[in-house]
Amino acid sequence: MSDVGTTMSVSTRANKSSFNFRWVRRIPLYIAAILFCLITAFPIYWMIVSVVQPASLSLQYPPSLIPQVVDLSVFQDIFFVQDAAQRIDIWIGNSVLLASLTTVICLVLTVFGAYALSGKRWRGQGAFGLMLLMTQMLPEALIVIPLYATIDRLHLKDSFITLAMVDTAFVLPICIWILKNVFDTIPNEIRDAALVDGCTRIGMLFRIMLPISAPGLVAVGVVAFFHAWNEYLFAASLMSDRKLYTAPVGLGSMISMIDTPIDKLLAGGLVFSIFPIIFYLIVQRYVVSGLSAGAVKG
Amino acid sequence: MAVQAGTNVRAVKAEAHRRRDYLPYLLALPIILYEGVFILIPIIQQIGSSFTSDVIGMGDVRWVGLANYERLWNDRYFWNSIRVTLGFMSATVIVSVGLGLIAALIMNQRFRGRSIVRTVMTLPWAFPELPAVLVFYWIFNQNFGVANVFAHAIMPWLEQNPRWLNDINLALPLVVLIAAWKAFPFYGLVTLSVLQSIPHELYEAARVDGATPAQSFRYVTLPEIIPTLMLMGVLACIFAFRQFVLIFLATGGGPARVTETLVISVYKTAFASFDFSYGATIGVAGFVIVFAITVMFAYLQRRQAAELAA
Repeated sequence: MSDVGTTMSVSTRANKSSFNFRWVRRIPLYIAAILFCLITAFPIYWMIVSVVQPASLSLQYPPSLIPQVVDLSVFQDIFFVQDAAQRIDIWIGNSVLLASLTTVICLVLTVFGAYALSGKRWRGQGAFGLMLLMTQMLPEALIVIPLYATIDRLHLKDSFITLAMVDTAFVLPICIWILKNVFDTIPNEIRDAALVDGCTRIGMLFRIMLPISAPGLVAVGVVAFFHAWNEYLFAASLMSDRKLYTAPVGLGSMISMIDTPIDKLLAGGLVFSIFPIIFYLIVQRYVVSGLSAGAVKG
Repeated sequence: MAVQAGTNVRAVKAEAHRRRDYLPYLLALPIILYEGVFILIPIIQQIGSSFTSDVIGMGDVRWVGLANYERLWNDRYFWNSIRVTLGFMSATVIVSVGLGLIAALIMNQRFRGRSIVRTVMTLPWAFPELPAVLVFYWIFNQNFGVANVFAHAIMPWLEQNPRWLNDINLALPLVVLIAAWKAFPFYGLVTLSVLQSIPHELYEAARVDGATPAQSFRYVTLPEIIPTLMLMGVLACIFAFRQFVLIFLATGGGPARVTETLVISVYKTAFASFDFSYGATIGVAGFVIVFAITVMFAYLQRRQAAELAA
């Protein structure tokens, strides 16, 4: 370290003083960064601590900030102990099923919508875009009553296909928007070349646009998947059988139990969070550039 | 000659093609039908239902005209929910967009460990809502929650544990805190992406002109990010307005309705009191608010796009 200092002072004096000056000025920055990290990380840290130590230790007051004993048997409880009221394993399986169904339905519709919005303008395109925006802005809770009433009357409750279709309605606009932006990046020359070669426009969609846009399709799939993965309101009102609960509804129902097994509840929450977190860690380097594209275009 | 004829034929064909271009409509049709069935028709049903009396266990559905709206106007719980919604919305927007801006300024600096800091700071965005509620519910548990340890450390004169989410004065600020914790990384990342698009030369020029860091923030950074901040502010309003699961599971709208926002009120009126028509009426009031915010959003977005194009 002193070596570095000497070299710096030898090279130029001005350089050295600015070096020291900057270092001191950086202290508030480091404090702020650490403070922010503590605020964001502590709840997640605390969740892990409460899961890995036996429940008896979590129910001591005051709690110790560092786990004293590590005991992972709670995960075994979740997946291998069959307690009719707390089937976290089934709930997570239901969530996987629901999210996959939603992804499939949403992908098919997104391709049509995005292709309609990309390319030459047509009469009514603006109205179509505004309709999508409004749909995206609408709070689910405002139409849960009529949707519930209709679905109940048609005896379509307690079905994952119904739930996936409802979830798709709310995530479709943003998916169409994402894929439209991807389609728009494909150069017109490629489209024209395909048309000149005698390709129909539907053929062009399947032979040219979709293969080129594979990463965009993956992005759409991921957005749809995690929308259904996290959705609570419709899952809570349309699923009446505990065995059909999705993970958010099931875990949410455990909060209000009198003798909530806190370690089991938090362990379920942790398992539930693992997919999104791992996924975020993989893609996060692309997120900022992706957002800047989205922020400009909306 | 042959070439010219060829061009003519193609032009005619293209012209015919352009006139009979049904393809976009065919493509858009399934989407319009789909959103019509799942969104548009329910909205119409909701509005229709607000003119009826439809309470489960109270006999047939009857037409009652504007009676529900009269009741709404005189319902102090409705006005309470409007107040709570506005309070929750403005507090959440200010706190989360503000924290997002500070976080973005930090993440935009070059320092050792920056990528780790960025990952940790933005983690709550990836963390799903439901587990977030679970863990905060546990942290703010009155008997065993770790928040008590911090509260007693900061305020040694406290005799008992605070009641946290069950306390009339603390419930709403805590719900805002949980919502902001979850939301601010998104605003931070969007702001960061704009910060990174500001040309470096602008800062160089400001420094050459002798601007202090504060001045270069005021005169270089701020003008560049204000349009984004405004757009994000409106977006944050919408997100806060539709926030359901977090409030519903953390407090259920209580204690004494201090966290009962409009969407919670709609849900509880329909699914706890089984008064579908009155719940629908509150929902119609919600449509009006959402519509107003959406129009504002579309206006700001269009203006920003126009500025970018200019």
